[in-house]
Amino acid sequence: MISFITSHYFQIGTVILFGVGFMTLLLNNNLIRKIIGLNIMDTSIFLFFITIGYTGGREAPIINGAFKGIDAYVTPIPTGLMLTGIVVAVSTTAFALALTILFYERFGTIDLSEVMDSRGD
Amino acid sequence: MTTPIIRRIVGWLLPFLWIFSFYIMLFGHLSPGGGFSGGSVLGACLILDRHVNGANAFGARFTGERLLKLSLAALLLYGILKGQSFLAGVLHMNGLPIPLGTPGNILSSGLILPLNVLVGIVVAVAFYLIATLFEEGHL
Amino acid sequence: MKRKIAAVLITVSFIAFLLIGLSDFPPYGTADSAVYNEVTARYLEKSIEETGAVNAVAGMILDYRAFDTFIEASVIFTALVLVLMMLQKNDKANGGDGNDHAHH
Repeated sequence: MISFITSHYFQIGTVILFGVGFMTLLLNNNLIRKIIGLNIMDTSIFLFFITIGYTGGREAPIINGAFKGIDAYVTPIPTGLMLTGIVVAVSTTAFALALTILFYERFGTIDLSEVMDSRGD
Repeated sequence: MTTPIIRRIVGWLLPFLWIFSFYIMLFGHLSPGGGFSGGSVLGACLILDRHVNGANAFGARFTGERLLKLSLAALLLYGILKGQSFLAGVLHMNGLPIPLGTPGNILSSGLILPLNVLVGIVVAVAFYLIATLFEEGHL
Repeated sequence: MKRKIAAVLITVSFIAFLLIGLSDFPPYGTADSAVYNEVTARYLEKSIEETGAVNAVAGMILDYRAFDTFIEASVIFTALVLVLMMLQKNDKANGGDGNDHAHH
């Protein structure tokens, strides 16, 4: 148990950050705070992917001068894949915030508990 | 919202931010950076300029319609520049020969430099239009 | 109060299941994870002579996988057009009659 924590500490921290974002999504009634919770969950997944591809003792994949063999560089694939994910997260947050503005103009409040209790239909 | 302190300090800071964003975009194949991060810093520069200088800012000379058309043209130009190698791969032909140059110079590595600039333009225009187009009741 | 207890229970059980699934992963910082295979070897060895880029990540996302970057730039453009379309107002100058037809 202790050896599991000391050898996987980075990935455990990432999963806990995912849990923090999930609880932010569930416990708040304000719409803006729910959007912040979604954004925290996205960020934790990006961090998880980047920590998988790391190896201690190697350097960044920028080949200056002579080529030192394939055992001297960190792999470039996970960071390149997460660029697409970051862009999708930004676009989703922008769209959700525009929907919040329309919600406010329709109902007059951004607190979900008032809207869900008063409208019976 | 803009006090004289902010106006003075942003006036000193903006030239360095402009040069920094162009450095990130143009040196994407030699050092860390590339189109997306350079475009984000460029968009932040345009928004800061607009908040401090008002109607005399750099982005205020281009209206919303012209910036949208510029962004669409950049995206279509990316598709045309790389579309010839996509189609050549499908039809089992060789693509157009593009000179690679010596690694380490700025003008090397074929099409990577124009593609970085085009992606940076799309991202910067997107950030600037979402943040500032709804101030004076446009659209 | 019932909602808070249920939320805490669901989150704690979810994190416990994710941590049990995490025990199959190799330790942090070693080189025997599933990412290091022949694709990484090919991208690192042939990056300079096939793309000419010193930065291996830029050569990967703009030459080997340029289609993904094209689709990603179009996602940004689509999000911009979507936000501009949803937040426009119909005033009398645009041909509407000043009312917002979304309400009923």
